[in-house]
Amino acid sequence: MDVALYIHVPFCLRRCTYCDFNTYAGLLDLRLAYIAALERELSLLAARHGRLRITTVYCGGGTPSLLGEAVADVLRTVQAQFTLADAAEITLEANPGTVDATLLGAWRAAGVNRLSLGVQSACANELALLGRIHTWKEVVEAVTLARRAGFDNLSLDLMFGLPGQTLAHWEHTLAQVLALAPEHLSLYALTLEEGTTLAAQVAAGVAPLPDPDLAADMYEAASDILCAAGFWQYEISNWARGLSMPLTIWSLPPGGQTESIGPWASRHNLAYWRNQSWLGVGAGAHSSWGGRRWHNLLHPDAYIHLLERGEWPVAEEEHIPPALVQGETMMLGLRLAEGVTAADFRERFGAELAEVYAPIIARLMEAGLLEWDGGRARLSVRGRLLGNQVFATFLPE
Amino acid sequence: MDSRYIRNFSIIAHIDHGKSTLADRLLEVTGTVESRKFSSQSQLLDSMALEQEKGVTIKASAVQMHWKAADGMTYELNLIDTPGHVDFAYEVSRALAACEGAVLVVDATQGVEAQTLANLYLALENDLEIVPVINKIDLATADVPRVTHEVAELLGMPQEDVIAVSAKEGTNVEAILQAVVDHVPPPSGADEAAPLRALIFDSHYDSYKGVIAYVRLQEGRVTRDTPLLMMATDAKTEPVEVGVFTPDMQPVEQLCAGEVGYIATGLKTVREAHVGDTVTEARRPASEPLPGYRAVKPMVFASLYPSEADDYANLRDALEKLQLNDASLTYIPETSQALQFGFRCGFLGLFHMDIVQERLEREYNQDLVVTAPSVAYQVVLTNGEEIEIHRPADLPDPSTIQEVREPWMKVQVITPTEYLGAVMEIFRRKRANLLMTETLDNLRVLLTFETPLAEMVIDLHDRLKSATRGYASMDYAFDSYRPDDLVKVDVLVNKDSVDALAIIVHRDMAYDKGSLLIRKMKEAIPRQLFEVPIQAVVGGKVIARVNVQALRKDVLAKCYGGDITRKRKLLEKQKAGKKRMKQLGNVIIPQEAFLAMLRLDED
Repeated sequence: MDVALYIHVPFCLRRCTYCDFNTYAGLLDLRLAYIAALERELSLLAARHGRLRITTVYCGGGTPSLLGEAVADVLRTVQAQFTLADAAEITLEANPGTVDATLLGAWRAAGVNRLSLGVQSACANELALLGRIHTWKEVVEAVTLARRAGFDNLSLDLMFGLPGQTLAHWEHTLAQVLALAPEHLSLYALTLEEGTTLAAQVAAGVAPLPDPDLAADMYEAASDILCAAGFWQYEISNWARGLSMPLTIWSLPPGGQTESIGPWASRHNLAYWRNQSWLGVGAGAHSSWGGRRWHNLLHPDAYIHLLERGEWPVAEEEHIPPALVQGETMMLGLRLAEGVTAADFRERFGAELAEVYAPIIARLMEAGLLEWDGGRARLSVRGRLLGNQVFATFLPE
Repeated sequence: MDSRYIRNFSIIAHIDHGKSTLADRLLEVTGTVESRKFSSQSQLLDSMALEQEKGVTIKASAVQMHWKAADGMTYELNLIDTPGHVDFAYEVSRALAACEGAVLVVDATQGVEAQTLANLYLALENDLEIVPVINKIDLATADVPRVTHEVAELLGMPQEDVIAVSAKEGTNVEAILQAVVDHVPPPSGADEAAPLRALIFDSHYDSYKGVIAYVRLQEGRVTRDTPLLMMATDAKTEPVEVGVFTPDMQPVEQLCAGEVGYIATGLKTVREAHVGDTVTEARRPASEPLPGYRAVKPMVFASLYPSEADDYANLRDALEKLQLNDASLTYIPETSQALQFGFRCGFLGLFHMDIVQERLEREYNQDLVVTAPSVAYQVVLTNGEEIEIHRPADLPDPSTIQEVREPWMKVQVITPTEYLGAVMEIFRRKRANLLMTETLDNLRVLLTFETPLAEMVIDLHDRLKSATRGYASMDYAFDSYRPDDLVKVDVLVNKDSVDALAIIVHRDMAYDKGSLLIRKMKEAIPRQLFEVPIQAVVGGKVIARVNVQALRKDVLAKCYGGDITRKRKLLEKQKAGKKRMKQLGNVIIPQEAFLAMLRLDED
């Protein structure tokens, strides 16, 4: 059985102002115990599921780069407990402020073949607003060092729709980032999450409320700029350099499947969007397997504690009934430019997509949000910006 | 009981001047109720929870007390409580008609207020003997000499006749009872042999005994064996029981001329035993009913819709039950293309509307959408026919209208002079005419305005209170229907007229109100997948337009393995929120948008 494996590393030097992930600053002392717990959890999984074949590993956070050279230990455990596919994609998320040539070399040697750097912005004031610990200069250095260390699959994360951000700032950031010639870009519109510092600042009027129309302008500007630069948008927030130039923004991948764009689309994340199975290890990590989804205890202390006792660190488990699996498959699959094909739907559910969702498809097409040619449903160019309106309709009542 | 030893009286006061506390104290000193009973329930006459909370008496009540006066004789004192709000002016007038005297209570810290005057005038119209009382003399802020002077001046009485009490502490309350015995005349013309004539001054519904009519007997006698006739409604019934309130219902053999008590009529709805009607004997009816009866007509109308269409039947049941005890509440089923199935309800006034709405929500657990209130318009058509409309949307085509008349009210405001300018400005914006300015003392003035009820129903009271920091008081009464240049402003959402949003306004204000209304609508309507024009239209002509811009961006930026459940729940929540909104053609409108009109004067 092939499976994607996610490894969560919840440590950060400082929490970013917008972040509401399961991350913690000031717990770095737990690092060794945490690595031991990860290794225990991997063995428990192997004991339960047998020798699975891992096609992708994604080490995310938090700040996984804070594990330092111990990343290699974790990957060794993965290899020991499971079968790592020959061409497995192994991604490590890294903060540009936490890398150096030695570390990068060690990670590359340990098998990491895709590096995802959290860049967010090329503008100093925006980096400060977001509470990032690195400068733009450090981003440039990190990229240079990564290339030197042999990373030929580099992804950079950016954010837009920030308080006070102008279209000119955003275009500046895009130009600067394109000059670094990454293979992959993730562009995230800021969501002000409740309980974050940034949301509190906006609520208090310290930071201006972002204008959603301006964010839409930024998104459209980025679509044009990246298309012209040879990037294919294969998901709502993700672009990959292509082997060929895309004809227009939001083009259907040439072979109808994301993989046909080239080798740089995130294979690990594709597993999520195609609603395939994955296993997650680490504090708060989520897993989806055999119609069930569960997640681990959030706090690293609690997570470590249970594993030290040899117990499963699961906090909550959810059974996904078949109708919901179909709805979620649409919710996730429609995020991709490849959309959802009737053939895949039939193969997976033994049902006709056109029949199951006939009235919904008609309504969304009329609203100009969905394209449907009888064999494939995908968001229209406008529908990309209004995905929630589309996804919600596919969820069961 | 020898009618010479009967005294029937009311307590009248401005809201919060301590009427109910005084009533409690009277029940206590007469031994009608033991003092310890007061500990759990602060005010006995206000039996509904809502009344206690709002601090006003909604339903009148009547209690029989027995008290030994200075002359050594025991008197039967019937205390008839009156509703404390102007919306129930007619009920107040009937309660007062059942009395010979009234205890006028004025707060020693506040002095005479608008409702003090209004109630006093009603009492004087009914030829009642007034017993003036100043209450709350225990408070540090009481100004007894000033208020005593003010009250004596108002009544043209010597200051010594004004009784200073503290109802809260029980100080001097027996002096009130003695004054009632001394000054309030006993019932006159109490001919027990004449055919029965009893005035209904209140009623409530009892599920075992039917409608309980609260009555004052002018002539004759009634026992449970007297077949009865309600003279205005022609309803006939055999009573189930007659009795008095002590304050619980206590059956008696008979009630005689001059007395106050209840008749358990066995009637099934309060509409068959109207307040103001005369009860007589079915076999030997009186030749004339008692004077002063009139059918109370609702003046303020609003539509009530269930938030969820499925709850329509529940709402209907709740209204039905509420109406059992509230003859002045009217409702008829109504359909609106936007709000679907609901009821057009008529109320005596805004306060009455608030109470009904609150009771529906609180006692009957109804989740309501209430449209902006409107008034009853009289429309004379070109063919001479006259109709009354209760919904702005029903105003006929202008070409068929000869004249539109709207109700005007006479409003009295007492305000500290420092807020005079603010009060005048509020009324200026309400199309009001200032009729009179009288100086009460060097601190306060009494202003008399006339203003259309339609201008009052929105927020006059709240604005008055906030502009005067709560110091102004107000009272109002219907004056007359008057023609004016009134037009209907229709609101078109995405080219479709929305009935529930139509308003009737003076032609000179049509543009201002129309454009304000659609701007408020714009704020309330979420952006949709397409641009939604909102237009204000008068007589087929668009007078103002705004657009709700199309929604451009609504998408979750991140959706990875870690948050699929969470993101899905977010979408489900979004979807559920949408379901609660009202669908109008392709446009989804939240319920708040239907209340945009209520905020027309905010700017």
